[in-house]
Amino acid sequence: MIFFLLLLALVAAAQVAEFFLPTVPWMYDAHVYIVPVIVFYGAMALPFPLMLALALFAGLLLDALTVQVVGGKVEISAGSSILIYGVLAGLMHGLRPLFARGRWEVHCILSGICTSLILLAQYLMISFRRGSIVFTREIWWQIGGPGLIAMAIAPILFWCLQWLSEVTAYSYGPERGRLE
Amino acid sequence: MGMSRTNLIALLIFGAILGYFLSFGPETTQKFKAGVYQLLSPFLSSGSGLKKQITSVRTGLKSLEQLERENAALKVENRELRATNQGLRDAEEEVNRLRHALNYRERSVFRLVAAEVVARDSSTWWRTVTINRGRRDGIEVDMPVVTDEGLVGKITTVSDTVSVVLLISDENCRVAAKVEGSREQGIVSGERVKSGLTPILDLNFLSKQADLRPGQKVYTSGVGGVFPSGILIGIVKSFRVRELDGQAQLTPAVDLSHLEDVFVVTGRR
Repeated sequence: MIFFLLLLALVAAAQVAEFFLPTVPWMYDAHVYIVPVIVFYGAMALPFPLMLALALFAGLLLDALTVQVVGGKVEISAGSSILIYGVLAGLMHGLRPLFARGRWEVHCILSGICTSLILLAQYLMISFRRGSIVFTREIWWQIGGPGLIAMAIAPILFWCLQWLSEVTAYSYGPERGRLE
Repeated sequence: MGMSRTNLIALLIFGAILGYFLSFGPETTQKFKAGVYQLLSPFLSSGSGLKKQITSVRTGLKSLEQLERENAALKVENRELRATNQGLRDAEEEVNRLRHALNYRERSVFRLVAAEVVARDSSTWWRTVTINRGRRDGIEVDMPVVTDEGLVGKITTVSDTVSVVLLISDENCRVAAKVEGSREQGIVSGERVKSGLTPILDLNFLSKQADLRPGQKVYTSGVGGVFPSGILIGIVKSFRVRELDGQAQLTPAVDLSHLEDVFVVTGRR
């Protein structure tokens, strides 16, 4: 339970930190997103109910900070990020046994892909609302760039979180049936 | 393999909470967003201060490296003096900047509330900044935000102590505009994704005969009621004729990527 609470605190801290992280100019100003990597780590490390709680918390924060209400219209409705996080974290959770056997590389790659999928989903939603869809090189970089960055930082973050789980005496078990 | 009872209950609770959030209307969403911003405002403000300190230390280290390269023999006292000088220069620069801003506030025809940018947009698809003024300072949704150089954007979310500003470089921020030296009027909006180093604004719905020249200034027209007339938006970069209308591309009057101090227009004097 301590480890889960720490993950919640880390998600909140990372969400605030993202406001101050510079973009990557040579990737067409792609943003650096840490929160998805933490959530997807949680998806593999936590049992199903806690994984959902983490996805709910992260989605709620993302919704609150990104949703724009302009002229009385909501572009991406509150709750959509919760849904996206829930679905993607659920998929990652399915690969939990692999992670418990110490195979991290698949999840590092998937963390990157899922980060890009979040951005793609957001982009499709706003395109639908704005009534036009365009895919330029810049837009592909804005979607793919953060995914590549997430892939690159995932091993380091996973290692740190693994260390944190050991410090808090949290042990993984793919078939654990009880709440930690 | 069936789902355990605990997992099923967790999934149902998740679904119920999700349904609750998805049922939010614009007003509830606005309140929810403002509430979360209010909770995070102390962290955003302290994060902004921390970032400034880190930048300052980094700048200091750079100048020390240069000094070492150029003057390897300089004594430690000299280095300290130079560092102090640098600090004073930074302070002087800040004093000048604030004095400039103060002058603008005094001579402006609008009632202005000065604000500092505490955080930039963390999302990919929206161009926003967060400022350290909120409801307590008389800020309300849709109030225009300016600098002494021109229009910055408008307020979209207000909490007690911080507010979110939608920049004019965002596709959703639409401003009624008129062109200097002509009768042309149109709507300015930003791009969905920045395609160059500096954002470009589009001025749409001009007549095909507009024939705007690079360098012409574009101001707010006051139509629509959100933005008062006469605020500089940008300068014409190019003009092209489309199938149904004319479109000009503008360079924003304000450097939106380096915003530090802004003013919220709360009314006319």
